[in-house]
Amino acid sequence: MKAKRRTGLIFFPAYDWEISPTHPERKERLLYTQDQVLEEGVLDIEGVYEFKAGVASEQDISRVHFCVPDVPSRITASHNISAGGCIEAARLVLDGVVDNAFALVRPPGHHAMRVVQGARGFCNINIEAVMLEWVRTHYPGVKKIAVVDTDCHHGDGTQDIYWHDPDVLYISIHQDGRTLYPGSGFPSEFGGPKAAGYTINIPLPPLTGDEGILWAVEHVVLPVLEDFGPDLVINSAGQDNHFTDPITNMSFSALGYARLNELLKPHVCVLEGGYSIEGALPYVNTGIILALAGLDYSYVREPDYDPERVRQDPRVTEYIQRLCEQIYDMWRNRSALAPEPRPFYERSRSIFYDTDSITERQHETLAYCTACNGALRIDSRASTGYRILAVHLPRGACSACRSQAREWFDHPGGPYYAVYLQDLDADEFTVKIM
Amino acid sequence: MIAKSDTMRRPFGCPPIPCGPRRGGEPSVILGIDVGGTHTDAVCIEDGRIRSYAKTLTGDDLVASVVDAIERLDAACPKVKRVVLSTTLSTNVIVEGKHPPTGVVCSAGPGIDPGTFSVGTCFRHVAGAMDHRGREYIPIDPAEVMDAASTLERAGCQGVAIVSKFSVRNPAHEDAIASLVGSRFRHVCLGHTLSGALNFPRRINTTYLNAAVMPVQERFISAVASAVERLGIQAPLYFLKADGGTYTQDAARRFPVETILSGPAASVMGALALAPSRDASVLVIDIGGTTTDIGVLVGGLPLLDTWGVAIGGLKTLVRGLKVISIGVGGDSCISVEDDGTIAVGPRRDGMPACMGGPSATPMDALVILGEYAGDTARALDAVRALALKAGMDIEPFCRKVIGVMVDAVHGAAKAFMEEINAHPVYTIYEMLHPHVVKPEGVVLVGGPAALLAEYVSRSFGLPCHVPEHAGVANALGAALSRTTAQITLHADTELGVLFCPELGFKAAAPRSMTLEDLRHEGLRLLRENASYLGLEDSAEAQVIQQQAFTMVRGFSTVGANMRVRVQNTPGIIDSWGGLG
Ligand SMILES: [Zn+2]
Ligand SMILES: [Zn+2]
Repeated sequence: MKAKRRTGLIFFPAYDWEISPTHPERKERLLYTQDQVLEEGVLDIEGVYEFKAGVASEQDISRVHFCVPDVPSRITASHNISAGGCIEAARLVLDGVVDNAFALVRPPGHHAMRVVQGARGFCNINIEAVMLEWVRTHYPGVKKIAVVDTDCHHGDGTQDIYWHDPDVLYISIHQDGRTLYPGSGFPSEFGGPKAAGYTINIPLPPLTGDEGILWAVEHVVLPVLEDFGPDLVINSAGQDNHFTDPITNMSFSALGYARLNELLKPHVCVLEGGYSIEGALPYVNTGIILALAGLDYSYVREPDYDPERVRQDPRVTEYIQRLCEQIYDMWRNRSALAPEPRPFYERSRSIFYDTDSITERQHETLAYCTACNGALRIDSRASTGYRILAVHLPRGACSACRSQAREWFDHPGGPYYAVYLQDLDADEFTVKIM
Repeated sequence: MIAKSDTMRRPFGCPPIPCGPRRGGEPSVILGIDVGGTHTDAVCIEDGRIRSYAKTLTGDDLVASVVDAIERLDAACPKVKRVVLSTTLSTNVIVEGKHPPTGVVCSAGPGIDPGTFSVGTCFRHVAGAMDHRGREYIPIDPAEVMDAASTLERAGCQGVAIVSKFSVRNPAHEDAIASLVGSRFRHVCLGHTLSGALNFPRRINTTYLNAAVMPVQERFISAVASAVERLGIQAPLYFLKADGGTYTQDAARRFPVETILSGPAASVMGALALAPSRDASVLVIDIGGTTTDIGVLVGGLPLLDTWGVAIGGLKTLVRGLKVISIGVGGDSCISVEDDGTIAVGPRRDGMPACMGGPSATPMDALVILGEYAGDTARALDAVRALALKAGMDIEPFCRKVIGVMVDAVHGAAKAFMEEINAHPVYTIYEMLHPHVVKPEGVVLVGGPAALLAEYVSRSFGLPCHVPEHAGVANALGAALSRTTAQITLHADTELGVLFCPELGFKAAAPRSMTLEDLRHEGLRLLRENASYLGLEDSAEAQVIQQQAFTMVRGFSTVGANMRVRVQNTPGIIDSWGGLG
């Protein structure tokens, strides 16, 4: 058997790390996946190669996050390796060692936002974003990136990080936020003023099966990607849409996941959630690897797979078709989504870190700019007592915005514990403890 | 011509060279015989010292070659305590396809299309599926199994390999198929008995090859056993395996596949016996005529291939040494590109020019440099034109050729070490505390070893040791390697099942079972089944792998999933006194 596409696997099950012994994010999580992948002989397929994970540095993490009070207090070594595994996967693809790669790593990351006051949805740092900012720093030729998040939960962290960035298209397919954590991810969340339309949310009703998810892929994701023309396509391959997942209510199957990846042809897949560690992950991951390698996955099936059981209600089908039509229309008319220009856009919100039971109040200010994506100022106050000011300078920031950021950084006002400046062009992260 | 591990260059059939002192008292005599493709090497060890050695050409009749080699050793046959053989028999049988028609009956269930794993004369896939914890979810269909067996019979299969997916977790399907149709075949092999490792396609290949070589190996072992007995030797007979361990003849009859590719094992274990230190981390480089093999000893243990060796295009679960082979040797052709670039190998045109061959080789360069006695005129004739093409004087050219050759070996060794050290790890601890294998020296064996030592030492920047008697390294490696075996235990306390596939041993796994309990059970099973596993003794039993996972379902703990691997550690038997 020979793969049609060279596929790299980064497998890092972190067999010595867990949130707590009975938490879904525990040592046992990828054990059965490893058993299945080994028993199927996947690693012996010509063109499928396994590589060692890497370790992301504090600098890699600070390209994305403002960790409060600092990076070491917000993460464990497992996060460095999980993000480092993603970086390694991207590097293999960009260096042409393989055609695509799958980072089967844990812990996940897509609920981690730009400011990190704690852990949310089992996520401390956003492993895809750490990977992408590493890519953009080291491979400047990569301009446009698409992240297609197929985890069952809305990837509110990734959405937050790329909210103002029109060069990173974020598409999330997930169970409707009215029925599942984190409760967000509606079509009305379409991106900030400078990136209106470049966040696309496709909330699907509970019990959506293969048919519905693949419909969204074929009728929204693929045509949008065709228009957008990304240099790099990432799949945040959460596997909690599965019909056996204990914490969600969808009806996706291993065959569906494999077909999704066959259609999407991502450069890098990153494992996100997925907590049916015995009934889903072993089969879903086998299916994804085969699909990435361009091999026949049609014999992959869960022991308790029953086409009748995962069949989707016709009303669900009809709802999804209508929804997808509206969302695709929004994309085509995205220029109409941008608000009237004004010097500053502000938003206030409250963020809950469920894993750590921390509440954060955020006030965000974007300096609107026609020359660049604009400097960003985030005033963040957490129930832990930490109040900080985060100033972000995007890639390609103009000199006016650089001065604005400098001004915010030098004269923060307010009783801040610390002020941070994240300057992506200079690849510098500066901290001022007040 | 340079045969691998032939530093002595003695004419064939010359009398044995006595070496090593004889001590008083009842001597303990060990014979090691390495039956290679071209030569058969034999060594006699008495009281931990080499007493004699011999080299003969391997004939068509391997048993006769073994007898011939033993006779030349002039050993005190009644005092022999151990006879160990390393042969290429099973390797050749497989590579040349000279085994009887052998069939496969396998049950796979969903996954990768089992049709892609087809191997052998007659491959039949039947219904039946087990999941990763060994729970059946599709039963066997007896009628279908009977029908498959009939197909195999019609195809003339005498042997059958019975393999099911996840049989190392639950062998019920393999056992059921065997009890349905086993009696219809002369040789029946069950996948789970050969290895406890997960890898269904490799399990199919391994089981198939084991069934295929079984009849040939059985005939050979019987013939050698009686021939050795006729020589007056009462000692047990052992065979060298690919992993650098040995096993008893009974085990070799049951698991003949483990003797494939034992050649590199003989050479690396021989180097270990001859290495200056017994717990050395060294590269073992065997420079032959056509190829150079590179292996590595880590803390005195041979480094094994992660999954298993491949033979005849089939990947197996047979544990073997991690070695690479590059197409550079003493008899490789020297070539010079138009731009003056000098290359050595991978082509070989036969003998070096100094021995009447057609092309210039590194051996000719060594002759010209006065490092080796040969026909200098012939060597010069062959090398001169190439030196001219390279625009160099003859002697610098010759030195450059040796440099190119040694650098090629160095480059390969470096890449080899990088690959070893880039091995994926699955825990944070290993990720942050990487175990970096860093050789502290080179043990150089093979024909031109002594001549190249200085060049190798310079290129590698490491001390280079060329052991005395390197010519019998392979026979020594066979003679002195400990008996080894490995077993795997899997305990699932939620299902309440403990299973050791290699022994087909099943027991209850109570909820109270701990990893410590499982370790003890593993060591106990290895010791109690030492003779079945082919062990001489189980003194070196140790746990080499252990994992325990708490199993949680619906936020409460339901049991533990534990894995333990136990082995008798490979190494050199204690009575070996070394050369010192
Ligand atoms: Zn999720
Ligand atoms: Zn600007």
